Amino acid sequence: MSRLTIHELTKAFMAFVAVKDVNLEVADGEFLSLLGPSGCGKTTTLRCVAGLEDPTSGKILFGDKDVTHLPPERRHIGMVFQNYALFPHMTVVENVKFGLDMKGITGAEAQRRMTSVMEMVQLSHLQDRHPRQLSGGQQQRVALARALVIEPTLLLLDEPLANLDAKLREEMRFFIRSLQQRVGITTLYVTHDQAESMTMSDRIVVMFGGYIHQVGSPQDIYFRPATKEVANFIGHSNLLPGKVLDEHDGIVSVQTAFGVVQSRALQKWKSGSPVTVMVRPETLRLTAGSYPNALPGRIVAQHFLGNIVDYRVALADDTMVMIQSLGGQTHATGDAINVIVDPEKTWLLP
Amino acid sequence: MIMAKAKTNLRNWVFGLPALLLVLLFIVVPYLNIVVMSFRNTSMSAPYAPGFTFDNYTRVLGDLYYLVLLRDTLFFALLTTVLCFVLAFPVAFHLARTKSRFQGLLYAGVLSPLLTGVVIRCFGWIVLLSNNGIVNQLLAYGGLGPYRLMYNHTGVTIALVHVFLPFMILPIMNSVQAIDPRLEEAARTLGASRTSVFRRVLLPLTLPGIQSGVILVFVLSASAYVIPLLLGQGQVQTVPTIVVQQLLGSFLWPFGAALALTLSVSVLFLVSTFALSTIRSMRRLA
Repeated sequence: MSRLTIHELTKAFMAFVAVKDVNLEVADGEFLSLLGPSGCGKTTTLRCVAGLEDPTSGKILFGDKDVTHLPPERRHIGMVFQNYALFPHMTVVENVKFGLDMKGITGAEAQRRMTSVMEMVQLSHLQDRHPRQLSGGQQQRVALARALVIEPTLLLLDEPLANLDAKLREEMRFFIRSLQQRVGITTLYVTHDQAESMTMSDRIVVMFGGYIHQVGSPQDIYFRPATKEVANFIGHSNLLPGKVLDEHDGIVSVQTAFGVVQSRALQKWKSGSPVTVMVRPETLRLTAGSYPNALPGRIVAQHFLGNIVDYRVALADDTMVMIQSLGGQTHATGDAINVIVDPEKTWLLP
Repeated sequence: MIMAKAKTNLRNWVFGLPALLLVLLFIVVPYLNIVVMSFRNTSMSAPYAPGFTFDNYTRVLGDLYYLVLLRDTLFFALLTTVLCFVLAFPVAFHLARTKSRFQGLLYAGVLSPLLTGVVIRCFGWIVLLSNNGIVNQLLAYGGLGPYRLMYNHTGVTIALVHVFLPFMILPIMNSVQAIDPRLEEAARTLGASRTSVFRRVLLPLTLPGIQSGVILVFVLSASAYVIPLLLGQGQVQTVPTIVVQQLLGSFLWPFGAALALTLSVSVLFLVSTFALSTIRSMRRLA
């Protein structure tokens, strides 16, 4: 049985519909992230699960218990906010203990939980500080401890790393993920940062304009996006529009304005139907020599990024493609070049 | 670095100078003058007679009439403050959090008591509260009253609460606005009922606003003069009305000054006691 079920959830604010017909099942102990640009409805979905928003229609179930109209204080959830929302007038200990007080957990049990959670987030030495005396990362860990100490059925995280600097953000990703796995708590994680959701999640839900576009593993989302929006949002991708020519042995030939591109297809494509070929920049290769089925082009710009070189290549009809290759620069701006597309590393989108 | 800092300090001083001079000239000097005056000897033909004395203070502190007057003045100032707080808190809270498009209008409504002069406002209250005023006429329809709403502390307190309400609402509203609404949400998710959220999170965090509101209203009510004069019509005496009587009616400047200073010191004592007792919870928020 799923730990959390969201059934046909719709939430409208006056005329604006923030979330439309969202269906989702989260398994026990799963780390699921809601990914999408701002305004895609991911936070609203999370807030509905928390009970901080009242759904316009649809149902939310924890296990088989309908919690749709339960107030947040009776849902037994732990939530971490983007700005941490620590109580400024309480010390670290008082902040963490707040939930236990509210739930009437006292004495030895409270003491046991406090010790264990403070150790888990490595904050025992800061327990008498006030939130304003802590760094962003420390505040973040207090917020996590405060949410976890009540041993909630569900952990909800709303962009918890957005306010941290890049290096700390990476550290916290691993910290949160390992904490989640150690506690084994079902987690819903809202983020607009694809790297974050990729590294932490068991499954990712990609949302646009209130709709779910795709639910899948990080690999599914990256290599087999369901829509152009997903392909564009996750990593960099070249989207090459064309028409299906024919299909032989699972390899589809697509006629584009700059030549024929071949792609491995998992499904049948009718010849003549419009299609978009998605190619990731790191799967394209450049060669100065000739190569079968290569696309001729010219290097327009290149950026040396250290571990990779980022090329912009104009194809025959001036369509720009992005290509990333490893190591030292071997091609110069202005060079005529051939772009090699590996049919096994492309993906067709309707 | 040090030079630059000294320069900034100097500049701050220069910019502050006009205000400082104004305060010195029009507040500190007159106040000192009153202090000196309160130790002067009484004269029947001049503002004061030569020489200094403690007589004025022994008269204030030795006469039960003045002590009772002082106690009543402070008590009704306190009552006004408490009533203002009770009425202001929900309003301040609503105003701070409302998303209504009439928000501007609501702010104006809060400030409305300050838009008319005190005398006009008092005559308005007289029309409402006098023995055959509008309130008593309406009560008569219901078979009630008439009640004595004027010429006593009831009317004076009503009018004081009315005019000082904005001074309580605005600071509290400010501190509510400074509270992140997510704190309430965080508390709710941690299992706090609405009452607990209020008691454990909102109330402590609005304390700075409550403190300034309470001090403002208390000081203003204790020193109110026109409202007790007009709505009391001579039946309500407070320290300020008696002080003015001494100064203008009896022409007893030294005694009037001593009485005024006694009130000032009492108010100052109460306000600083209050501030000190709340400073601990304040410091945690700083």
